[in-house]
Amino acid sequence: MRRRLVPLAVPLAALLGVLPAGAADSKEKKTMKPISNPAAGSPLRTSLLPSPSSPLIAFRIQFRCGAINDPAGKEGLNVLTAMTIAQGGTKDLTYKEVTERLYPMAATIDAMADKEVTTFIGSVHRDHAKAYYDLLTSVLLRPRFDESDFKRSRDDLVAAIETNLRGNEDEGLGKATLDWTMYRGHPYRNLDIGTVQGLKSITLDDLKAHYRKFYTQGNVVLGVAGGYPDGMIESLKTDFATLPQGAPPLVALPKPKPLSGMEVTLVEKPAPATAISIGFPIGVTRADKDFYALLVANSYLGEHRTFNGRLMNKMRGDRGLNYGDYSYTENFIQDGGSTFPLTNIPRRQQFFSIWIRPVPPVNALFALRQATRELKMLVDRGLSAQDFEATRKYLLNYSRLWAQDQSRRLGYQLDSEFYGTKFFIDRVQEELARLKLEDVNAAVKRHLQAANLAVAIVTENAAALKETLLSGKPTPITYQTPTTSEALLKEDKEIESFRLPLNRERLLIVKAQELFEK
Amino acid sequence: MSDLLKLLAALGVVVLGTRLSAWGEEMPKGGSKVFPYPVNVTVLENGLKVIAVPFDSPGLVAYWTVVRAGSRNEIEPGKSGFAHFFEHMMFRGTEAYPKDKYNAILKELGADHNAFTTDDYTAYHVLAPATGLETIMTIESDRFKNLKYTVEDFKKEAGAVLGEYNKNASNPFQTLNEKIRDTAFTTHTYKHTTIGFLRDVKDMPNQYEYSLQFFDRYYRPENCSLLVVGDVDPNRLVELARKNYGSWKRGSYQVEIPDEPPQAEGKRTEVDWPNPTQPYLYVGYHGPAFSDTQIDMPALDLVSQLLFSDAAPLYQKLVNDEQEVDLLFGAASDHRDPYLFEIAARVKKPERVAYVESTITAAIEDLKETPIAADRLDKVKSHLKYSYAMGLNTAGSVARGLAHYIALTGDPEAVNRVYAIYDRVTPEDVRAAARKYFVSSGRTAVTLSHREGAAGGAPGGAGAAVAAR
Repeated sequence: MRRRLVPLAVPLAALLGVLPAGAADSKEKKTMKPISNPAAGSPLRTSLLPSPSSPLIAFRIQFRCGAINDPAGKEGLNVLTAMTIAQGGTKDLTYKEVTERLYPMAATIDAMADKEVTTFIGSVHRDHAKAYYDLLTSVLLRPRFDESDFKRSRDDLVAAIETNLRGNEDEGLGKATLDWTMYRGHPYRNLDIGTVQGLKSITLDDLKAHYRKFYTQGNVVLGVAGGYPDGMIESLKTDFATLPQGAPPLVALPKPKPLSGMEVTLVEKPAPATAISIGFPIGVTRADKDFYALLVANSYLGEHRTFNGRLMNKMRGDRGLNYGDYSYTENFIQDGGSTFPLTNIPRRQQFFSIWIRPVPPVNALFALRQATRELKMLVDRGLSAQDFEATRKYLLNYSRLWAQDQSRRLGYQLDSEFYGTKFFIDRVQEELARLKLEDVNAAVKRHLQAANLAVAIVTENAAALKETLLSGKPTPITYQTPTTSEALLKEDKEIESFRLPLNRERLLIVKAQELFEK
Repeated sequence: MSDLLKLLAALGVVVLGTRLSAWGEEMPKGGSKVFPYPVNVTVLENGLKVIAVPFDSPGLVAYWTVVRAGSRNEIEPGKSGFAHFFEHMMFRGTEAYPKDKYNAILKELGADHNAFTTDDYTAYHVLAPATGLETIMTIESDRFKNLKYTVEDFKKEAGAVLGEYNKNASNPFQTLNEKIRDTAFTTHTYKHTTIGFLRDVKDMPNQYEYSLQFFDRYYRPENCSLLVVGDVDPNRLVELARKNYGSWKRGSYQVEIPDEPPQAEGKRTEVDWPNPTQPYLYVGYHGPAFSDTQIDMPALDLVSQLLFSDAAPLYQKLVNDEQEVDLLFGAASDHRDPYLFEIAARVKKPERVAYVESTITAAIEDLKETPIAADRLDKVKSHLKYSYAMGLNTAGSVARGLAHYIALTGDPEAVNRVYAIYDRVTPEDVRAAARKYFVSSGRTAVTLSHREGAAGGAPGGAGAAVAAR
């Protein structure tokens, strides 16, 4: 059973304890040289990674449209369009017929609809290159827009908000609420999957109009990697030339409104533990030099799912507070069961964030204080020469693991083109090789801070938590088994009364059931 | 086994043409799959299996240690979840390499490293530059021989495990998984999930002495396999392994897992969920153990595809045509001892649960009576083969798949045998397997739903594989 790439929806297989695989991609055979594509703006850009000896072919067909293009009142239009296409029929075939043809090939067509881009991802064994190509291009260029496919996709998306996000995924809800708190009055505020009422108000005609407007020659990049046959790319260009010409103008993004102090949103729901996300917009992306300096600082503070970060060592390792504590310099979603970031979720404006995995409610504010304090110490003190060198060396090696298969490599290549920078992993190698400690610490001072933060806390009994926050009282840690370490006890004292820069006017309680309704 | 797990467990590939076809032609289909990479197995004198699989990942190796102990081995009452907890303790260091030093060494290599525990085994994995092989082996062999941690470290780690339980606690599937096992099994250790019962997880800080015993019993060379996939020279690997693991002492403990008696009659239980949700239906039929010689499990793998893949008529009917459910899944996952064929559905409307349940049952009954057309079976076999071929894309995914079969049988060649059986399965085999295992007396059903105003208990339970971080 193949579940779909609905953002925020965990594949069932994963829920049942099967470690999810990434998309099935071909194994890399040799270092692949990308073939540069025409300059942006010219029709039918391609992004190719030929690997003639590979038995597999990976496709990433990317359109420059996302949740930021959803009209007011019809939030979710972009993702619903993408889903109805990827999990729908063609002019000649019903969805059932498409599925039946894909099945013996074990090939898939998935859509990943994000804020700025929408990517159709597929992979196939080259034994079936032509049959798969015909299905993929028919689905994208001659979508059926069947009422039944539309209704099923819409139901799935509504359930993804009403049931999954509000009820079953406290960590995802925390992250979504962080965006909601950070990006007031900004196109990034909404979920990529829209709102319940937005989805319900969308019609099939809206989908067709969205498709006509954004699925155009000037708005697409045709990404292909692996052992694709000679002539396929020419066919691809010829076929996609049937799309309307040109591209709609990019949505202009306003600057995010500055946060004022610590702005906390408490999300009330029954939950056995408390999930916390902290963040703030930053002015750097992969296009900027400073991003690479922050990459090092961030790895030292909270590299995802490793014991390299201070947050992880101090919060989980030393105190057993929870399962994990990490930080990020850009939008990050883990790719399946791996440790690595999902590609093709780029943003023109990025944010820094800290993810505190669920803690026992009694320790929620201790954890919030500790993470904020760690961030402040990073800003105040920076890295030591030794930490800088160890972290830089780590990232120089570790970044080579990020694109092990050709589909992920292709994803990184598309992202590099989005940011207008050279291939990201090559850029990491280049920038880190010449980075100096003072560059990193200066970049930290320029871009990171611990005074103006958005915080999302998913918790039961939010009123009591609010009261404790407002009181400013110390919130000591409750150990499952008390520690005897004097150093820890001393630091605990400092953490429990660490002053949070709370914005008392912006301290909200929202019921989970009311979030993302409209 | 689920499609996804099949993909992960992939080790056979379709024989491929080596030249590109002209655009527009279909390539000739290959014959039966053969794992295209040599699998070199050496057993050291102390019983440790050393397996080298050269694979085209220039400059990279996946270094896996497979311990054939999982939650299945938690035979004492009150000790559920212990294999997983112990996996966490393996990161707490030794005298020679305390945890900070261990982490610093792997950090310097830029390694991606972690571990996970399942019902049947625990796997420790490192993905790193091939030049680091000797370094990795030095620190990995050291912790398997000389692990050492304080009582306080042990107690702290219990908090992280509780955190791991908690991070999944809002997910209905964790509770469903916990409930179905607890209801379907009376005696066998599959009665509990890998992460264990919450009461046992909470009691873990008090089990220091037992942890030493657990290490002593299972972390022994004859119970482990070292597997290296990627840019590796098999001879050098064996040479290094002798040097580093040679002094590791054999153990003598033999675990006796209690057999599960046959279930006498169907069972049913309900869960009240604290959050608003569509109702979930979760059904388990007692099934066979994994086997690479008997036809039952491979036949059930085909049954899983015939009923629950997205091209299956039942799936098409409930998910796409009638749109009664938004999730539908069914598979028998590979286990060392007999486990369950599990079926899960999330029903869109509460009043339609009975209809969905009876529709699934009717499709199963039909499978018992009506032979499947040969061409449908061929499509399923093709799907499984290509899933395999497409899953072999990184050193890590090859190692993960190989670890699965090593854990089940001790023999990486098991995958080739299983695939040879897939090829032999006939429509009659499918029907026989359905008749043998889909019996009402061996059936357990759990429903989970939200009743307005119901005070739901603490959700809980975890799935089959849980990772160190």
